[in-house]
Amino acid sequence: MPTTTHIDGFGPLSMTTPTTTAELAQVIRVAAAGSTALYPVGGGTKLSLGTPPTRPGQAVSMGGLTRIIDFPARDMTVTVEAGIIIRELRDTLAREKLRLPIDVAHADRATLGGIIAANTSGPRRYGFGTLRDYVIGISALNDEGNEFKAGGRVVKNVAGYDICKLLTGSLGTLGIITQVTLKLRPLAEEQAIISLACDADKVESILANLHGSRTRPICLDLLNRLAARRVFDQAHLPVPDAAWVLLVGYEGNADAVSWQVQQLVKEVGILAKLEARVDFTAQPLWDSLVEFAHRPGDELVLKASVLPSAVATFGLNADRDGVALRAHAANGIVYGHWTADASLDRAAETLKRWRESSGTIVTRCPSEWKKTLDVWGPPRNDAWLMREVKAKFDPKSIFNPGRFVAGI
Amino acid sequence: MTSAATTATAPKLADRMRAIVGPTNVLASPSDLVVYECDGFTIEKNKPDVVVFPTSTEQIVAIVKACGELGVPFVPRGAGTSLAGGCLPIGGGVMIALTRMKRILEVNYRDRYAIIEPGVVNLWLTNHIKPNGYHFAPDPSSQGACTIGGNVATNSGGPHTLKYGVTVNHVLGVELVLPDGRVVQTGGPHEDNPGYDLTGVIVGSEGTFGVATKAWVRITRNPEAYRTLLGVFESVDDATNTISEIIGAGIIPGALELLDSLILQAVEAAFRFGFPLDAGAVLIMEVDGLDAGLDQDAERIVEIAKRNNAREVRRANTEAERLLLWKSRKQAFGAVGRLAPSYCTQDGVVPRTKLPEILRFIRAVGTKYNIRIANVFHAGDGNIHPILLFDERDADQVKRVLGASHEILDECIRLGGSVTGEHGIGVEKIDFMPKLFSPEDLAMMVRLRSAFNPENRCSPQKMLPTAGACIEQSKAGRHAAM
Ligand SMILES: Cc1cc2nc3c(=O)[nH]c(=O)nc-3n(C[C@H](O)[C@H](O)[C@H](O)COP(=O)(O)OP(=O)(O)OC[C@H]3O[C@@H](n4cnc5c(N)ncnc54)[C@H](O)[C@@H]3O)c2cc1C
Repeated sequence: MPTTTHIDGFGPLSMTTPTTTAELAQVIRVAAAGSTALYPVGGGTKLSLGTPPTRPGQAVSMGGLTRIIDFPARDMTVTVEAGIIIRELRDTLAREKLRLPIDVAHADRATLGGIIAANTSGPRRYGFGTLRDYVIGISALNDEGNEFKAGGRVVKNVAGYDICKLLTGSLGTLGIITQVTLKLRPLAEEQAIISLACDADKVESILANLHGSRTRPICLDLLNRLAARRVFDQAHLPVPDAAWVLLVGYEGNADAVSWQVQQLVKEVGILAKLEARVDFTAQPLWDSLVEFAHRPGDELVLKASVLPSAVATFGLNADRDGVALRAHAANGIVYGHWTADASLDRAAETLKRWRESSGTIVTRCPSEWKKTLDVWGPPRNDAWLMREVKAKFDPKSIFNPGRFVAGI
Repeated sequence: MTSAATTATAPKLADRMRAIVGPTNVLASPSDLVVYECDGFTIEKNKPDVVVFPTSTEQIVAIVKACGELGVPFVPRGAGTSLAGGCLPIGGGVMIALTRMKRILEVNYRDRYAIIEPGVVNLWLTNHIKPNGYHFAPDPSSQGACTIGGNVATNSGGPHTLKYGVTVNHVLGVELVLPDGRVVQTGGPHEDNPGYDLTGVIVGSEGTFGVATKAWVRITRNPEAYRTLLGVFESVDDATNTISEIIGAGIIPGALELLDSLILQAVEAAFRFGFPLDAGAVLIMEVDGLDAGLDQDAERIVEIAKRNNAREVRRANTEAERLLLWKSRKQAFGAVGRLAPSYCTQDGVVPRTKLPEILRFIRAVGTKYNIRIANVFHAGDGNIHPILLFDERDADQVKRVLGASHEILDECIRLGGSVTGEHGIGVEKIDFMPKLFSPEDLAMMVRLRSAFNPENRCSPQKMLPTAGACIEQSKAGRHAAM
C-alpha cells in the first residue's frame, strides 16, 4: 500500500515499507540504478534533526523489520531488527530483568535503528554512557543493496574495524541499518532521584561538590526555573521554588542507593534544599525527565557541548526569558527549548551567542528556518575525512543526501 | 603497492630520516634492527630498513611524507608487546617507534580527561593520577610495558572489561597523522561532537589508518572498596554455571577470573597462596564500588556459588590477601614455565553461556592432539585464553599445537563467538577473517581503510586479507608464539 510522507518539510515523498531485508535490498538497487535518493524513516521522532532533504527520492519506512532474532538473556545480549519499537524492546528485555540503559523519549514510537542513527541519549548517560558503548554488532545494507556486518554477538571482540561505531550517529548516511546486536545491563534493584533547589550563585559550587562526592550519581541534570516547572508539572509533583534545580540520580542495589541518599544530604544539605524520592516514587520524575527531550510544544531546540566545568557559567548566561534550559551537567551537554513564541531572528541571535562559547547544533526548528540557520555549525577539522568516508561508503550519495554535517 | 627499500635505497632512506629527527633518533645498523624484527608474536620476522624515534607530530608528518616520496611502507610501533604481529614491518621500510613521545600533556580532573602522547606507558598514567583517586580503566596484563598508543590501536582489554569496558569506551579523541601527512583531530574533550564517530573506528584499527600522535582519554574514579572471593569448585561446569547465575542475578562484578586445575598447580608452586590442588576449578570473584552495597552483593555471590556445588568460598580478609590472590592471577602466565618449556596462549571469545561447551571442547582437543592445555581467563565476558603446553624443540609437538589452536578458534566461531577478544588480528589471525566475515563485510572494511590509507602504505597486509598479496603463511609454528 503506497503512502506518502514529508521529511523536515520536504515532500511529499512516496514511502515504501519493506518487510524483509531482501525487499529493502531491492529498493536500494532500484534507487542506486537511477541515482535517486533514499530517506530511511524509523518512528519519525527525530526527523527534525539535520538539514532538510534537497534531492527528490523515496522514503523507506523501517516499520516492517521488527523481529527479535535472538535473545540469549544469560549472555546479556540481544539481536533484533532495526525497526523494532523501543517500547517493545524494553518490555522484552525487562521480562528477563535486563535493559538497554539508554533514555529514549517517545519510546512507543522511536525505533532502535532511529535512535542509533541519531545517537539518542538522556539523563542516565553520566552513569551508563551512550549507544556506542552498547552496539556490539551491526548489519546494514550498502549502496549496492548488499548486506554487510561488523562486530558480532559477543561482548568482547576486536576482529575487524569497528564499523558499529561508525554507523552509530551517522544519521543514516552510510547505509541502512537492518539488524543490531546490543550488550545489555541488568535492571537496577533500586533507584532514587534527589532534587536540589538552589540559587544561581550556588550552582557551580554544588556541581563541584558533587564531582568530588563519595557518592556515584548516574545522573546530574540541571534545570532552570522554566525547565523545572515543566518537568515537575508533567510528573504531577510540586515545583521547587528556586532559580535552579539539580536532579541527582542513583541506581544500584538497595544498600548502596540508601547509603548514597543519606550521604548526599550530609555533603550538600547546607547548600541547597533537598528532596529525595526513592523506589517507585522516583519513577514519575525519571519519566518526565526523559520525555522532556521531546516535548510536543517545542519550536526550537538548541544543543550545546561545553566542558562540564563550564556548564554553570554557560547555563547562567543562557538563562533568559522564554528558554527552558536542561543540562546533563556532568557531560557538558546543555539543551535550550523554546516554545511557540520563538522567532527566527531571536533563534539566529541566540545561536550566534551560544556558539561564542560552545559547539552548538540546532536539533529542532521549523524547516523554513533552516534556510537561514546553520544547523550543524562550522565544520570541524576532520570534516574532510568524514566526506572521504561518505564517498567510499556511498559514492552516489543515495542515503539521506544533504542532511548531515559538512554537506554529507 | 609500495615496495621495500633495496640495499641501494636504504642508506638514502636513513639519511632522510636523520635529517628529520636527528642522528640520535635513528637506528639503521643490522645489529640494531634485529630487535625490531618482531613484537610479542615471534614466529614471523622481518627487519625494517630504518627505525625512527620521532619526538613530535611535525616530525611524524615529515617522516610519512618522505616515505611517500620514496615509495616505502611504514609501520607504527609502541612497546612491541602485540601478540598478533601488528608491528611486523612487512616489506621493510620505516618503523616509527613512538616511545620517545611519552609526555602526559594535561590531566583535567574536573572534566575527567587526560591528554597523552602515544608513548606513555599504560601504568604511568594510572600511577600519575592515583594520588587523586583516579585511574585509566583499561588494564591489560601487559600494562607495565605497553603504551596507550598501542592500547588505542588494538582496543585493549583486561580483567576489568566486564564492568568497565575496553579501551574504546575510554577514548574521547585522537590526533592522527594520515599516510599522506595530513593531521586530523577527531573528537576531543567535549562530548557529542557532530559528525561521524571517527575516533570509534580509529581505535582498534591496529595501526592501519595512520599514526596516533595524541589521545584524549577518560579518567575514572577508583572504586571505594572491594570484596574479593575465591570459589572452589569440583568441576569447571559448576564454576561456569556460577558465573552465568551471578550475572543473571543482576550483579556485574569488577572481575570474574577462572583458573582450572592444571594452571592451579603451576600457580600454587610459584606463589603458595594455598589453592586446593584437587579442585576442578577456582573462580576469583571480585565486586567493587561503594562500600555500602558490597556486602549485599558478596553474600548473594556466596549463595549462588554454594548452590552450584562450591566446595567452599573463601574471602580475602585483608588487603594483603587480596593482593596475593591477584598476583597469583596476573602472573599466572609466568608460572606456566613450570609446566612446560614452551607455551602458546590463544585468545578466543564465546558467548558466556557457551563456556562449558568450549571448555569441554578444549579438553577433547587436548586429548586428540595429545597436548596439555591449561585455562586461566576473563570468564565474565567469555574471553578464553587456553594455554597450550609443549616443547618447541619437538617439531611434531609444534605441529600438534597449531592444529589444536586452529580447532579451538574454529569452534569459537561455530559457537557464535570470535577469534580475538583483545589481542587483535594483525598478521597472526588474518586467515580467520574470511571465516568470521563475508566478502561483502571485508569489502566494506577495505572501503573504510581506503578513506584513511588509500595506498595501503601504512602497515600493509595487516588485519584484512589482500587478494593476491598474501604473506607467506606456511611456516610451521607461526601460531606457537607467546
Ligand atoms: C604478557 C602480555 C600480556 C598481555 N595482556 C594483554 C591483555 O590483558 N589485554 C590485551 O588487550 N592485550 C594484552 N597483551 C597484548 C598487548 O600488550 C596489547 O595489544 C597492547 O595494547 C600493545 O601495546 P604496545 O604499546 O606494546 O603496542 P605495539 O605492540 O607496539 O603495537 C600494537 C599495534 O598497534 C600499532 N600501534 C602502536 N602504537 C601506535 C600508534 N601510536 N599509532 C598507530 N598505531 C600504533 C602497531 O602498529 C601494532 O599494530 C599482552 C601482551 C603481553 C606480552
